[in-house]
Amino acid sequence: MTSLLEVDDLHVRYETGGQPTSALDGATLSLQPGETVGVVGESGSGKSTLGSVIGRLLPPSAKCVQGSIRIDGVDVLALDTRGMRELRREVLGFVPQDPVGALDPTMRIGRQLKLALGDGSGLLTDLLEQVQIADPQRVLRLYPHQISGGMAQRIAIAMAMARKPRLLIADEPTAALDAQVRAEVLRLMFDLAASSGTAIIWLSHDLNAVARWCDRVAVMYGGRVVEDGGSTAVLEAPAHPYTAALSAANPADVVAGDRLVAIGGAPPVLHGSAEGCAFAPRCPLAIDACTTARPTVVDLGDRTVLCELVGKQHPAAPPPEIETIREAAR
Amino acid sequence: MTEEPILSMSHVTTVFGSGWGRRRHVVTAMDDVCFEIARGETLGLVGESGSGKTTTGAVALGLRAPTTGTVSFDGAPLGRRRDRIGRIQAVLQNPQWSLNPRLRVADAVAEPLTVVRGGRLRDHREAVVAMLDAVGLESAFADRFPHQLSGGQCQRVSIARALVTHPEFIVFDEAVSALDVSVQAQILNLVKDLQAEHGFGALFISHDLAAVRYLAHRIAVMKSGQIVEMADTQRFYGTPTHPYSRQLLEAL
Amino acid sequence: MSVVLPIRRRSSRVRSGRESYEPAFWIAAGILALLVLATVVARLTRLGGDPNATVGMRLAPPGSPHALLGTDNLGRSLLPRLLQGIGTTLLLSSIAVLCTAAISTAIGIVAGYRGGRVAELILRIVDVLYSFPAIILAILVAAVVGPGQVAALASIVLVTVPLMTRMVGAGAASVVQRDFVRAAVISGVGPVRIMVRHVLSNVSGTVAIQGTYALSVGILVEGALSFLGYGVQLPHASLGLLIQEGSVYMVDAPWLIIAPGCVLVLAILAINVIGDSLRDRFEPRETRRLT
Repeated sequence: MTSLLEVDDLHVRYETGGQPTSALDGATLSLQPGETVGVVGESGSGKSTLGSVIGRLLPPSAKCVQGSIRIDGVDVLALDTRGMRELRREVLGFVPQDPVGALDPTMRIGRQLKLALGDGSGLLTDLLEQVQIADPQRVLRLYPHQISGGMAQRIAIAMAMARKPRLLIADEPTAALDAQVRAEVLRLMFDLAASSGTAIIWLSHDLNAVARWCDRVAVMYGGRVVEDGGSTAVLEAPAHPYTAALSAANPADVVAGDRLVAIGGAPPVLHGSAEGCAFAPRCPLAIDACTTARPTVVDLGDRTVLCELVGKQHPAAPPPEIETIREAAR
Repeated sequence: MTEEPILSMSHVTTVFGSGWGRRRHVVTAMDDVCFEIARGETLGLVGESGSGKTTTGAVALGLRAPTTGTVSFDGAPLGRRRDRIGRIQAVLQNPQWSLNPRLRVADAVAEPLTVVRGGRLRDHREAVVAMLDAVGLESAFADRFPHQLSGGQCQRVSIARALVTHPEFIVFDEAVSALDVSVQAQILNLVKDLQAEHGFGALFISHDLAAVRYLAHRIAVMKSGQIVEMADTQRFYGTPTHPYSRQLLEAL
Repeated sequence: MSVVLPIRRRSSRVRSGRESYEPAFWIAAGILALLVLATVVARLTRLGGDPNATVGMRLAPPGSPHALLGTDNLGRSLLPRLLQGIGTTLLLSSIAVLCTAAISTAIGIVAGYRGGRVAELILRIVDVLYSFPAIILAILVAAVVGPGQVAALASIVLVTVPLMTRMVGAGAASVVQRDFVRAAVISGVGPVRIMVRHVLSNVSGTVAIQGTYALSVGILVEGALSFLGYGVQLPHASLGLLIQEGSVYMVDAPWLIIAPGCVLVLAILAINVIGDSLRDRFEPRETRRLT
């Protein structure tokens, strides 16, 4: 069975006037049909670029300089305009970060949906009912500024799922929503996806939330996927020092009275390929080899990790615990 | 002997009206809000957008007058800005836009000092460098422009600017919300340390209960303009009483 | 206070420095510089001839002795008059635009900072002015002040002030929303200092951009007014006046209208390109075309 999605050693560079920036520096990710993966990362991690590049939705200043993207075996980077349009229409679905902003403010919602889906209004009401919007007839006549963020996101999900895509890419879909609505929208998204066998890529900054909902977690840093494995495994015992640090720096996990463990520095902005590990300057466990050699992928059985240290250890040895990171950071 | 609280709000209600006659649309942003903040204490104010916490911050800073009720600073009603310059400061949300892109860091940090002590921006270099050091930035940063700094560094500059007049009270309005998790942790630790060292009272406004919980001694939860729960932080590590607070906590 | 945006907007790319100007900008700037240079040199050294001297046959075509671009109906060489005309047109328009910039910036910043009813009133008054067709306004001014260069200057100012005031006002209003202005207010900085130190410095880009567009409008207004006979008067020359003179002899001596007409078009094009390049640099918009 071929994977649904295979991103292999992808390098994406933004070439704007001054210095070019490397958004992706060898990102590798694969996805099976129906699988859900949460891609976690901060600024400069490349997760937004990864989400956009799959549908080739990057601005013209972005160039894929190396690597490949395959969906169902088809090379996405080689597709022509027609092929790309068909891919976006039939295979991919997108749920944006700002749902109200993603809608055209001058058109009624019904008209926009019709434009996007090209269907009769009868099917539209079904669509809105599917995403648990009460009184869909009334909502179809409203303008985007008259609906709440939660409702707009449901409509966005409805639009994305309308053609039962094989892959749904959600870019921080709950970032603009209130806490109460967040859980409902996520539940809706995952239920719909499960019932139509759609795979989900969920881009997020929140490791905990992602681990709660997705089968897998892929942590990104400096344009590469540094840890990729089952959610519970990665969350409970992170193997990569960055994942551990990210976990430790989350104020939601701090015990009362404890001090938050913060790693110094900031996520990097790459100008060209990194020579060693992008996290080395901030890593409390870094050794010399980390700055000179690009780390290679290490398969630990339940996950893959991009770290020289983990590679050097005996394969049977347990990954570094969060406590070790905490101690080293003090 | 109990000291006077540095800031207190007594039955403050703030109403916004727009439109005329029958079309008049009235929003009650703050509804009978009461709280006190002691010197050296941080009160966390949590709520979603539309809860009224932003307006509360504006009223506390004297940017907006309440419709009814009194706001007291250091025992006296919040009067003209001239009487309290330099004693109340704020750190705002957006790191990039909290600083004038046309001003160097040193000038931005020096500005509050020129109001309090007079002189021109250039005259306060020493104090500026000392404050930059206190927030963890090297003196080389003084001559840079905001677009050359990262989000976390910009926020440190904002904190330096807020602290440079040694205020007795600081309002943090979503000060860490626009930062990455790893940078957020640094800034939270920084604020905690600075408060221990300088002893300012603080109102920490955020929609993120986890961040508030880490910094605040007491927490107030706001919904639709009202404070629905107010308790010591300890309570929020366990189970809060009000169902809305529980919802916010569960979202973590 | 700033509206709370739960959307986590993190800058995913640090701006990697200002981008360089496009070649179109340099070509346009070069053309403009050439025009300015030519007119300055002509004024100082009488290169190209004496604008008032008769040099030969009336209505002689270009390439005649002593008249590179031909002669007009009085036998004067066109070239020196053209150079003089360029100078007058550019100088007049530039001075007018500087006046406009000063007035509009002052009004716009105060309106943007204050906001509320005062700003609304100011902008409404400005809108009334804006609603007049430019040429009607210009003729009205000429009727009041009397035809001449002053009339041309005043009408350019009146025509260009409304739009620039609106643009600066809008720019100022958006700058005032930003947190650094709020921080300055909280720190107790006085309104005048805020307007100068914080607002002015951040709308200066808008002023420069709108100024270049106003310049091209100014040139057209002066041209139209002079064409109608209410602007620059003889014995001075301006592009508008030259075009008017040329229009009388359009059939017999087309060079009399073609030369100043081409220069006018070239000047306006160059200025607009410069304006566009400035706008792209100071107010860039990323266009999302799908790859």
